[in-house]
Amino acid sequence: MAQLTLDEVTKTFQDDDGEIIAVDEVSVDIEDGEFLCVVGPSGCGKSTTLRMIAGLEDITRGEIRLDGQIINDQPPARRNVAMVFQSYALYPHMTVRENMAFGLEESTDMPDDEINERVEQACRDMDIFELIDRKPGELSGGQQQRVALGRAIVRDPEVFLMDEPLANLDAKLKAEMRTELQELQQDLDVTTVYVTHDQTEAMTMSDRIAILNDGVLQQCATPLECYHEPNNLFVAGFIGEPSMNFFPTTLEGSTLRGEWFEYELSDETVAEVEGTTDITLGIRPEDIEFVQTDTGPNVFDSTVNVVEPRGNENTAHLQFDETMDDQFIATVGGMKQLKAGQRVKVRFPENAIHLFDTASGEAIRNRTLDEIETVESVV
Amino acid sequence: MSIRGGNFIDELRSTENSRIGLYALLLAGIAFYLFPVETAVMTMFKTESAFARTLPFAPPGADGFTLDALSTAWNTLRPGLINSLLMAIPATIMSALLGSLTAYGLTTISWRGQVGVVVLIIAGIFIPYQAVLVPLSQFWFRVFPGLAEGFINTLFGFITGGSWQYPSRNGYVQLLQLSVTHAAYGIPICTLLFRSYYQSISEEMIEAARLDGASAFSIYRNIILPLSLPMFAVTLIYQFTQVYNDLLFALVLINEPASQVATQRLAALTGGVVQSFNTTMAGAIVAALPTLLVYIVFGEQFAKGVAGE
Repeated sequence: MAQLTLDEVTKTFQDDDGEIIAVDEVSVDIEDGEFLCVVGPSGCGKSTTLRMIAGLEDITRGEIRLDGQIINDQPPARRNVAMVFQSYALYPHMTVRENMAFGLEESTDMPDDEINERVEQACRDMDIFELIDRKPGELSGGQQQRVALGRAIVRDPEVFLMDEPLANLDAKLKAEMRTELQELQQDLDVTTVYVTHDQTEAMTMSDRIAILNDGVLQQCATPLECYHEPNNLFVAGFIGEPSMNFFPTTLEGSTLRGEWFEYELSDETVAEVEGTTDITLGIRPEDIEFVQTDTGPNVFDSTVNVVEPRGNENTAHLQFDETMDDQFIATVGGMKQLKAGQRVKVRFPENAIHLFDTASGEAIRNRTLDEIETVESVV
Repeated sequence: MSIRGGNFIDELRSTENSRIGLYALLLAGIAFYLFPVETAVMTMFKTESAFARTLPFAPPGADGFTLDALSTAWNTLRPGLINSLLMAIPATIMSALLGSLTAYGLTTISWRGQVGVVVLIIAGIFIPYQAVLVPLSQFWFRVFPGLAEGFINTLFGFITGGSWQYPSRNGYVQLLQLSVTHAAYGIPICTLLFRSYYQSISEEMIEAARLDGASAFSIYRNIILPLSLPMFAVTLIYQFTQVYNDLLFALVLINEPASQVATQRLAALTGGVVQSFNTTMAGAIVAALPTLLVYIVFGEQFAKGVAGE
């Protein structure tokens, strides 16, 4: 059980062309028992951050503290962290039992029978007891993954570090393991830092998400905050699948003038964006409404270009002008049928739009959350 | 494959034909490689006159059969064989072990100046034996005895009160020196072999071991060493053959007849004025036995190591 603090952690590499900043002053407080996902595109510094916490990578500047103790210069073994690697990194010449016992043998002076007991218990917890005397080469990918997790939990560490542990599994197994990992983390209540490039994993599993881009922390908040109240254009575009639609516009009076449409803002909204003229309008695909008539402002004509049915919903690729390259995406319920080539009217409701400063990318106004409902419990 | 019956049969027939061709080629290959060996074995069991009368590869026949050549070769080579094994086995094991440790230090542990050391080691592979003969003999005949005498005489002189002397360069000391020379000379190539193998070992696995709390030596002992067994087979076979077959270093370093190695004995056996082919062949076969044995014992592991499994 531990609180992990990253305080302006920076990592630079020397290159022929000079200094490359891999991680730039990242500060995050990870509470005891919290599940934090670090996401970002490849090369954003998320794995480097994790490796610095593990002690596999030197920290150029800043501090990493575990329960208030600075651990910058502690060797990996002394930090009491356990890591699960993307490749599982099992020892191929050892049985499952030996793989899991190795860490305890090396880092503690626990007697053999106690080690054995703990390994067997962890195997039962991970549902791999019948595989205990097999070698990794004789196991499937999913089983190897369980052994890798078992090897981490048997150490009973203060912090779990996971580097894309599900990346090598097929889609169905991935979804299963996602749930299982979440349950496991809740049961053990161990502080966990989980690195992934998959925003779905981050959204579904974590207590909070830290989004990195180019080594800079963009936002660290709960999944729903990141989704509904992104700090900037990057977060808005990265979280959510399909991505948010963006339209560059300029503000003239109370009108956002885009290349293909003019959007009327209410007085309150105009007051909020006061002082910025270059504004990017963002709207999530599911917030775009299909309407029959020009009811009220901000209804635009467009053409359906491609429809991707997914069963539960349909993803429609739309265009304002068929001759131009101006596609945007809207999703509708699976029971609503659309055809390619169809002319439709779409409405961008004002309470669902996000406005960003085009120059800095910062969010000026996020959607309102008046419509959020909670499912009441039954007694 | 076509579904038409005729084509299918044709195809089957052509597969059969290519199979027959393949086996014929393989058999021809076997015959080509084994023919000289068969000739040597036949010659070894022939009397001088039978050798003159029959074709080299034909069997000796009842009147031309003799074990004399074999027993002469065996008796001449036997002390040399023992000396060779005494010298080559430790040398092989030492260079494989040291090569493996060096390669480990140069791949999985990072430190400053690694590249320089790698370059030196690679350069070491290309130093010809002839180039080091003089410094080598100078070292073993003058420098080392001087150092050893100074050290040992002082130490033992202190313990025994001056009555003990460093022994002269007797037979076993010469063998030991030859062994050490070969071990040292084998380190570069062994290091190179192990290094390329260790570079293919997953870095994440080594990191996992570090997080598991294993020290650098424990990682070597528990992870790297067990995983390098196939590579050990490769280096053991290669290095043993290399050391065992060497004549040059042995000629320079060994002057006691009693401590001559097999290659020196073989040279003596075949180097006479009168060529007797049967003893020559018998000597060659007897001298080749240990290397043959090593290949048989480590063959499977060797194949794994070469295939990079």
